Amino acid sequence: MDQGIDLQQTFIQSLMDLGLSAGVAKTVWMPLPMLLMIIGATVGVLVSVWLERKISAAVQQRVGPEFIGPLGVLAPVADGLKLIFKEDTVPAKADPLLFTLGPVIVVIPVFLSYLIVPFGQNLIVTNVGMGVFVWIALSSVVPIGLLMSGYASNNKYSLLGGLRAAAQSISYEIPLALAVLAIVLMSNSLSTIDIVNQQSGYGILGWNIWRQPIGFVIFWIAALAECERIPFDLPEAEEELVAGYQTEYSGMKFALFYLGSYVNLVLSALMVAILYLGGWELPIPTSLIANWLGVSETNAWLEIVDASLGITMTLLKAYFLVFTAILLRWTVPRVRIDQLLDLGWKFLLPISLVNLLITAALKIAFPGAFGG
Amino acid sequence: MLKFLKQVGDYAKETVQAAKYIGQGLAVTFDHMQRRPVTVQYPYEKLIPSERFRGRIHFEFDKCISCEVCVRVCPIYLPVVDWDFNPATKKKQLRHYSIDFGVCIFCGNCVEYCPTNCLSMTEEYELATYDRHELNYDNVALGRLPYKVTDDPMVTALREFVYLPEGVMSPHDLPKNAQRAGQRPEEILAQDMAQDLAKKETGNKE
Repeated sequence: MDQGIDLQQTFIQSLMDLGLSAGVAKTVWMPLPMLLMIIGATVGVLVSVWLERKISAAVQQRVGPEFIGPLGVLAPVADGLKLIFKEDTVPAKADPLLFTLGPVIVVIPVFLSYLIVPFGQNLIVTNVGMGVFVWIALSSVVPIGLLMSGYASNNKYSLLGGLRAAAQSISYEIPLALAVLAIVLMSNSLSTIDIVNQQSGYGILGWNIWRQPIGFVIFWIAALAECERIPFDLPEAEEELVAGYQTEYSGMKFALFYLGSYVNLVLSALMVAILYLGGWELPIPTSLIANWLGVSETNAWLEIVDASLGITMTLLKAYFLVFTAILLRWTVPRVRIDQLLDLGWKFLLPISLVNLLITAALKIAFPGAFGG
Repeated sequence: MLKFLKQVGDYAKETVQAAKYIGQGLAVTFDHMQRRPVTVQYPYEKLIPSERFRGRIHFEFDKCISCEVCVRVCPIYLPVVDWDFNPATKKKQLRHYSIDFGVCIFCGNCVEYCPTNCLSMTEEYELATYDRHELNYDNVALGRLPYKVTDDPMVTALREFVYLPEGVMSPHDLPKNAQRAGQRPEEILAQDMAQDLAKKETGNKE
C-alpha cells in the first residue's frame, strides 16, 4: 500500500531544511490541521443546516429559504449572527456555573472527535491507535453536559429533557459500541485509517456494508439516537417538553447546543461513511483507474487527484447519510420514551450481540473474507 | 425449543414488516421532493380573486333606501343604518351607514337581499390594521373601490388553479392569452343559442 501524499512530513521536512529543530517544526505544524478541522466542521454545520432547511422544504413542497443569499445559502450564517448578538440570559434561580458549563461540555467532545476522522491516507489530525474507541468514549461525555444543563436550568422541563437525554445516550451507546466492535473484529484494529484500508482494494464490493449489513443499520439507528434526531428527539421534544434542556438557553449558549447537535450529526454520518462505506475509497479501485489511464499509481498528479477525490468521496458519503437523516425526519414520527428504551434494550442490543457473535464465527470460518 | 424458534421467527417477521413500512414512508417523502412547490410569493405576487370572491363589501350611499333588509338578513344584525324621516318628501333619509368588518363573516346575505343593489362584494381581502376599531367601515370607507391586483405595477398577478389551461399546474410564466380549461360562459351561451336556432328551423320546416 503506497502512502500517498503526506503533507505533515513534507511540511516538517521543509521547516527543518530552513534550520528549525524537529520539535519546533512539529509544534508549528500541529495547530494547522486542528484549525482546519474546526473550520471544516463549522462549515459542515452551516451546509447541513442549509440542507436541512432546503430538503425539509422540498419534502413539504415549499420553497425554503430563498432571499438570504443565492438559494438561501446564507440563512444559517444569518441564524448564527442573530444568536451571537442575542442577549445571554441566565435564569435567576439557575446554577450559573453549571448552566454555563453544560453547553461547553456538550460541544467540546464533539469537536474533539474530529481528531480521528480521516479524509485520506494521511489527511487526519492524528492517527490514534485507539481511533473509534476515542470517539465512543468522547460521545459518552455529552450526556453529562446535557444532564448538567438540564439540572442547572432549575426547570422541570429542562430536568426531564436532561434525564431523557442521559437515558437515551446511555442505552444507545451499547449497541453502537457492539456494532463498532464487529467492525474492529474484522479489521483487527481500532484505528480509523486501518479500518478504511481493510475495506480498500475491491472498490464498492469491498466496503463493510456488504459484510455488516445488520451492523450498518444498527449503527445508523444508534447514531441517530445519539444525535437526538427526529425519530429519537424526545429529550428536546418541542411539543411535550418545550425543547427539553434547551428551554432556558438563549444567545451563544443555545448556539453551542445547536452547533453541537449538527456537528454531531455530520460526525456520525462521517463515522458511518468511514466504518461501513469505505471512507475515502472510490467505488472503483484507484489501481484499476491507474491501469486504465496507463499511469503509475504513484504518479504525482494522480495522487493529488486521488487525495481531492478522497475528500470529496468522504463528504459525499457523509452528506448522503445526512440526507437520509433529514428525509427520515419527515417520514417517521417521534417515538415515546418507553418505545425508545424498548428499541434500544430489547431489540438493538440483542441483535447487535448476535451480529457480533456471527461476525466472530464467520471470521474463524472464512478468515479470508472477514479479516483473519 | 420449537416455541422459542417460532417466537424468534415472528419477531423477525415483524421487524421486516416495520422496516418495509418505514421504507414505504421514505418512498413517499422522497417522491414529494420531485413535486414542485406552488408557492405564491405573496407581497410580490398575488392571486387574482375569482369572480365569486366574497371580499370587503362595497356600499353605494345614494342607492340606499334605508329599508334595513341588510340588517334583518344579517346573522348578527351587523350593518348600522342611521336614518331620519324627512317630512318634506315623506321618505326615509339615510344619514350614516357602517359595517364592522372585524365582526362580519362575509356571508354575503346583505348583498344577496339588498333590493336596490347598493351593496356588493369586492375582491379586497387585505384588511389588516393595528387597531380593531379601524375595521369599522363607515359609508365613506365602504364606498371606496379596491385597487385591482392586475393594475398594480408592483405585483405580478397570478391566476388561480381553476383558471389555468388544462394540465398546467403553475400559474407562473403563462402565455398572455392562454385560456382556462373548459368552456367560458359566453361560449356555452353561443352554443345554446345556435342549438335553439337550429331547433326552431327544423320546427318551421315541419
